[in-house]
Amino acid sequence: MNENLFASFAAPSMMGLPIVVLIVMFPSVLFPTPSRLINNRLISIQQWLIQLTSKQMLAIHNQKGRTWALMLMSLILFIGSTNLLGLLPHSFTPTTQLSMNLGMAIPLWAGTVITGFRYKTKVSLAHFLPQGTPLPLIPMLVVIETISLLIQPMALAVRLTANITAGHLLIHLIGGATLALINISVTTAFITFIILILLTILEFAVALIQAYVFTLLVSLYLHDNT
Amino acid sequence: MASYIIKNIPFEDSKMASSIPVKEKKLMEVKVGELPGWILMRDFTPKGIAGAFQRGYYRYYNKYINVKEGGVAGISMVLVAYVLFNYCHSYKELTHERLHKYH
Repeated sequence: MNENLFASFAAPSMMGLPIVVLIVMFPSVLFPTPSRLINNRLISIQQWLIQLTSKQMLAIHNQKGRTWALMLMSLILFIGSTNLLGLLPHSFTPTTQLSMNLGMAIPLWAGTVITGFRYKTKVSLAHFLPQGTPLPLIPMLVVIETISLLIQPMALAVRLTANITAGHLLIHLIGGATLALINISVTTAFITFIILILLTILEFAVALIQAYVFTLLVSLYLHDNT
Repeated sequence: MASYIIKNIPFEDSKMASSIPVKEKKLMEVKVGELPGWILMRDFTPKGIAGAFQRGYYRYYNKYINVKEGGVAGISMVLVAYVLFNYCHSYKELTHERLHKYH
């Protein structure tokens, strides 16, 4: 069972060809481009959701930060849709791969930091030392702030990977336990099935929340640096 | 594409040997004996394959999604096809999980 448990997280490839590229590109099929003033229902619903989310997310930024609107909205759409599609049976979720999350987190974080250093050098450097620290503590605090800055991309990537992977693993395990318990005692299997349903509801929420958190943190880093 | 060129065949002509070259017929009008020739005539260049995918996509999109009162069926058919595709792909690993006494 051990090997089967992690087999669903391996990158899928057909005859050596990595079809993981196809699976990463699949969510874009579900978001058609609007071509008219009033579109069909699918596009109208998506437009409404995007407007709602973008107003909420871009409210705290100034003019310079709002140039990142497209990036942040496409980020939350991509992570949300990829996570939700991963909840379908037998599907592969690209966001369980640490490589992909690192590839998303590091460039975005580096972009915000470099923007801060280019346009507001003194203020960005001043972030390394909180206000009002006693004089003897300064060297240690600068080191601590540097480390906490450098750990931000790692935390972004690992948070997303760990949450989604843990959720999928729990669903696999509890589902397997339910099936195995049916022959032994039906009541326990029923209780485990209820737990499975609750867990699936949680996973739907987690899928969306993780997308939101990722994007929100990137926007916070941006806000610090613009 | 050449397959879009449809000439109206009068009823009498269908009794003769085909008056349109095989290449230009739609699939439903190709006779079974001509099928291998028809398949070989298709455009297998990358541009042709991309064109085929694009035509298929717009055919589905305009029939089920881009309509005035589209329902949940349009998008859920796509999701079911995605699930089936992934099932077929992981069939080999899933055969270990069948309820047998000996694997």
